[in-house]
Amino acid sequence: MIGGLFIYNHKGEVLISRVYRDDIGRNAVDAFRVNVIHARQQVRSPVTNIARTSFFHVKRSNIWLAAVTKQNVNAAMVFEFLYKMCDVMAAYFGKISEENIKNNFVLIYELLDEILDFGYPQNSETGALKTFITQQGIKSQHQTKEEQSQITSQVTGQIGWRREGIKYRRNELFLDVLESVNLLMSPQGQVLSAHVSGRVVMKSYLSGMPECKFGMNDKIVIEKQGKGTADETGKSGKQSIAIDDCTFHQCVRLSKFDSERSISFIPPDGEFELMRYRTTKDIILPFRVIPLVREVGRTKLEVKVVIKSNFKPSLLAQKIEVRIPTPLNTSGVQVICMKGKAKYKASENAIVWKIKRMAGMKESQISAEIELLPTNDKKKWARPPISMNFEVPFAPSGLKVRYLKVFEPKLNYSDHDVIKWVRYIGRSGIYETRC
Amino acid sequence: MPAVSKGDGMRGLAVFISDIRNCKSKEAEIKRINKELANIRSKFKGDKALDGYSKKKYVCKLLFIFLLGHDIDFGHMEAVNLLSSNKYTEKQIGYLFISVLVNSTSELIRLINNGVKNDLTSRNPTFMCLALHCIANVGSREMGEAFAADIPRILVAGDSMDSVKQSAALCLLRLYKASPDLVPMGEWTARVVHLLNDQHMGVVTAAVSLITCLCKKNPEDFKTCVSLAVSRLSRIVSSASTDLQDYTYYFVPAPWLSVKLLRLLQCYAPPEDAAVKGRLVECLETVLNKAQEPPKSKKVQHSNAKNAVLFETISLIIHYDSEPNLLVRACNQLGQFLQHRETNLRYLALESMCTLASSEFSHEAVKTHIDTVINALKTERDVSVRQRAADLLYAMCDRSNAKQIVSEMLRYLETADYAIREEIVLKVAILAEKYAVDYSWYVDTILNLIRIAGDYVSEEVWYRVLQIVTNRDDVQGYAAKTVFEALQAPACHENMVKVGGYILGEFGNLIAGDPRSSPPVQFSLLHSKFHLCSVATRALLLSTYIKFINLFPETKATIQAVLRAGSQLRNADVELQQRAVEYLTLSSIASTDVLATVLEEMPPFPERESSILAKLKRKKGPGAASTLDDGRREPGPGGDVNGGVEPAPSTGSTPSPSADLLGLRAAPPPAAPPAPPSAGSLLVDVFSDSPTGGPPSLGPSPEEAFLSPAAEDPGIPIPEADELLHKFVCKNSGVLFENALLQIGVKSEFRQNLGRMYLFYGNKTSVQFQNFCPTVTHPGDLQSQLVVQTKRVPGQVDGGAQVQQVLNIECLRDFLTPPLLTVRFRYGGAPQALTLKLPVTINKFFQPTEMAAQAFFQRWKQLSLPQQEAQKIFQANHPMDSEVTKAKPCWTTWTQTQRTMWVLGSCRPKPCRWAACCGSSPTPRPRCTA
Repeated sequence: MIGGLFIYNHKGEVLISRVYRDDIGRNAVDAFRVNVIHARQQVRSPVTNIARTSFFHVKRSNIWLAAVTKQNVNAAMVFEFLYKMCDVMAAYFGKISEENIKNNFVLIYELLDEILDFGYPQNSETGALKTFITQQGIKSQHQTKEEQSQITSQVTGQIGWRREGIKYRRNELFLDVLESVNLLMSPQGQVLSAHVSGRVVMKSYLSGMPECKFGMNDKIVIEKQGKGTADETGKSGKQSIAIDDCTFHQCVRLSKFDSERSISFIPPDGEFELMRYRTTKDIILPFRVIPLVREVGRTKLEVKVVIKSNFKPSLLAQKIEVRIPTPLNTSGVQVICMKGKAKYKASENAIVWKIKRMAGMKESQISAEIELLPTNDKKKWARPPISMNFEVPFAPSGLKVRYLKVFEPKLNYSDHDVIKWVRYIGRSGIYETRC
Repeated sequence: MPAVSKGDGMRGLAVFISDIRNCKSKEAEIKRINKELANIRSKFKGDKALDGYSKKKYVCKLLFIFLLGHDIDFGHMEAVNLLSSNKYTEKQIGYLFISVLVNSTSELIRLINNGVKNDLTSRNPTFMCLALHCIANVGSREMGEAFAADIPRILVAGDSMDSVKQSAALCLLRLYKASPDLVPMGEWTARVVHLLNDQHMGVVTAAVSLITCLCKKNPEDFKTCVSLAVSRLSRIVSSASTDLQDYTYYFVPAPWLSVKLLRLLQCYAPPEDAAVKGRLVECLETVLNKAQEPPKSKKVQHSNAKNAVLFETISLIIHYDSEPNLLVRACNQLGQFLQHRETNLRYLALESMCTLASSEFSHEAVKTHIDTVINALKTERDVSVRQRAADLLYAMCDRSNAKQIVSEMLRYLETADYAIREEIVLKVAILAEKYAVDYSWYVDTILNLIRIAGDYVSEEVWYRVLQIVTNRDDVQGYAAKTVFEALQAPACHENMVKVGGYILGEFGNLIAGDPRSSPPVQFSLLHSKFHLCSVATRALLLSTYIKFINLFPETKATIQAVLRAGSQLRNADVELQQRAVEYLTLSSIASTDVLATVLEEMPPFPERESSILAKLKRKKGPGAASTLDDGRREPGPGGDVNGGVEPAPSTGSTPSPSADLLGLRAAPPPAAPPAPPSAGSLLVDVFSDSPTGGPPSLGPSPEEAFLSPAAEDPGIPIPEADELLHKFVCKNSGVLFENALLQIGVKSEFRQNLGRMYLFYGNKTSVQFQNFCPTVTHPGDLQSQLVVQTKRVPGQVDGGAQVQQVLNIECLRDFLTPPLLTVRFRYGGAPQALTLKLPVTINKFFQPTEMAAQAFFQRWKQLSLPQQEAQKIFQANHPMDSEVTKAKPCWTTWTQTQRTMWVLGSCRPKPCRWAACCGSSPTPRPRCTA
């Protein structure tokens, strides 16, 4: 189990240090700083073993979070906990920065006491934590006995993530399907690898203890239903998607998912991530990059890049950014582009081309002349791939939300009274084309 | 040096560096550097000419980026351009960049060399110095090739400035160290020596370093430096501390120079010129005197500098080893340091004393400090100092103080650090053996040693005890009694059991009279340890038991019962099982007489260099071994230096050379005479692998000495054995065959139609050959022409051992093909076989016949039939063996037909009657006719 938890700033100074077990000494703090943060070679592995002690770290902007243990723990559990802790901190004071951590260190220690006990992770549900760890200080005088016992029963009860007696005048819920699409393409346009990792994030403002049921165009479900009516399979067969793997929020009843493949749950109040999934088949690639690189002698390079948008013309892609790497001996760059703005960024050794908006089924082009400085090095330029960033208003995996039903037997509202919002956002992950 | 102008601050560089320092993360730093690199690249693009200042600034930035650990692959050209600048700062940056970043890129090296050359030939001393520093800093072979010839010229030129000379000397030293072959020796060497007289102390210091390095290769060329160095040294030593203003360091005049001069003098023998020598002795005395003076300063730098000169002086005195007075004074001085509170001084004093102890003059003086050293061994906190103290004790030991030192070392052993225990054990063992007046003391000491540090007692040590006890009659009884007592301790070390088992097995009868150590008691004592021991020890104990059967017939029944027990007869270990079976059979079958002969007391071992000494030398490593040798460099007549081989007092019995039981050479030990046929071959085997086998003897046997010059490359395939065979046509001895495993040597003699051949099979590996079986076969009808009788050889050849086989050959008729020798054996389980031609050719049985020329021609002419006459002229493939030539006197009598050798075909019945005549011997390459 986790023996201790440290938070460092970028210089390796310790901001938060919480030791849960005696086998972790003070020197562990320094060991991590010396061997990881200040390592001569950048440490790429998230797990580092120093003197029979394991350090698991995650980095959020300039902040390092490190969990330390001497035991053989489940590494996935430790990382899950670290991510969860980041979420909790973000929920309490926003962005995780040195400034914020310094300002909230009392709160962080309080949280750490609650979510980790003798190194064993405890309830880390933000909604539940917020009921008794508050930033306004202790309010025990104002809390009634009943409220206190309610917190106790909730935290120790079966549904630890939701308290009873929530009331909203307007029952509302928001559903966001957030996907990031990853691609590696050959210069000839052949897909070398592609996958989509997506999340379904839900924001619920519902009264009582509502029972929800979520449905999407999962291939298995569709086919099972289609058994009865053959024509429906033909209609919706194209529409369904094959999900490679998925994980759910703890509120989802896994037994039901296993038996019926239906996703039913009592949601926590507020925002939470309902599920995560990954698909690799039939991915809609929103953009196609066509590179053309020509070396003119030893001192000149001509680059032409065409991008084509490949979705419905009615949709608009946003925040498009194409990054064209330049050789390390570039001494000057001239760029001409038809749309958007392009600039040579010397600090990143790349030409960055930004387009604010672009409709589907369009294409745009950039051409650049790169001057090179002759060098002693006979090494050839490695030609790193051209990468791209964008945001599109649909799910590249093809996922569709079919329904989200809400039942609240005790209170007096039905599924139709709930106002539901669904939004799809597709973003680029690592979206690269070789040149 | 040019004044720093306003623009030389390089603000851009300072800003860049502070930017980098302020970066919050590695990523930010890389971004900043990329930006800067892009900026510099755009500046170096070549559209517009850059002025010297910006070029310098950008090169500086590149250098800084490089030193941060990023690759730089451009800017070299700009740096080279800076070399041609006239401004010091720009040139300096250019040189700096080149010394740090240059790699042997062909086109640039030429440009750089050009720039360096220009600066070397310029009259500006600062530029010359910069160029010299650059050459020295780069120090590559290319640089050396380009400039090795110029630098000596600059060094000895009369008009060079002092600073340039200094740089040139150090630069030359660097080049010489990097590639000695590039620096040409010439007339400049003589002039370099005179730099020792230079006014400028810096030049002298640099020159001394250079000369010290150079004179190690060619001491003769620099011999003249001795007198110059002495006079320079005496001037420094006798100067007041205020004389050499800049070169006085905390009141010590020029300590570095003095130390270097003293080192230089250590490269040579003491000066022969009396005046020079007198002056030098005076210097050395002055240094020793100064050491006695109260310190002029309390600062540690003062004492460090002073002691550095003093220690170097002492090493020079030790190096000369000829001034008793100085040696004793040095020793006394070191004695004072032994109790100094500085640990480093104590260490150095002990180390120097070690070498002093080996000098005949100061040995006695060193001995006076014995108590201090023993005290150091006991109380010193630092392990390295304790180690030195132990070394010194070892070095100062002689007959007078051996007992004290050995007992102190033994006492120290109980608390010694594990790392040095084995070494101390070896030292104690050597000292105890060497200075043993009374061998019972020796036995006591070694047994004590085993008791205290059994784990660290190597095999060599206890082998040696056994050798000595076996060789000396007077101590055997005492040894038996002592080991018997030692074995009575409830827990005794396995090595003790081994020694005890062996000694009781040999000499147990000497103490059997005492009822407390009666045979059954001895046996039960040994057997009580049996089950706790390793296999090797148990094997040894089994041999002891069989010896007991011989010594004490009354124990026979008990021992046979033990041997018969299932745990022995069916032991999983093949060695133990074999011994048990064989000993049991031997004891039940053989009569007492046979037993008494077979299990006779071991004969004395031949004297040889103590193997412990060899082990100690090995352990200390080559460096330490050489110092040990240095110490022994010139052992005077009275000098009693440890580490040398002292002839051991001769023993009562004469050592027989064949009784080489310890060596692995002789497979059947002399203690095992031909045994009953039933157990014969097994017995041989048992004894050949006896655990009493000691270290292999060091000196080669006569056979090996005879064979070794003819050693060939290993791995010759068998077909080429023919080639080897041809060598034996006119030769009777040599190596017949050799590969990685086996060497076969041959030595033969022939008389008339009889011959005797000795074959020596040498096992070149360290593994025993098994089923070793050489056989001689006669292909074709050779059977009727040649009779070869072979003697049997043992079936096993131990690693490194040699066995001999005798062949008796009788020639019945003339024959053409030689007999074949087939050798079969198992090496590491794999069967090996090889077939060779035995070097038996018809000419071996030739006999010379005196015949005058007329008589010969008379006979020649008598030959009437054409088939009776054959004449063939050919070039001899091998030079004639002069031995053989001498053996055939007829060759000299025949002078008329020079350069031809006649062999007359004959129809005479007896081979021995074959006649041969040949051409004259004076021709170097006679041709032969047959």
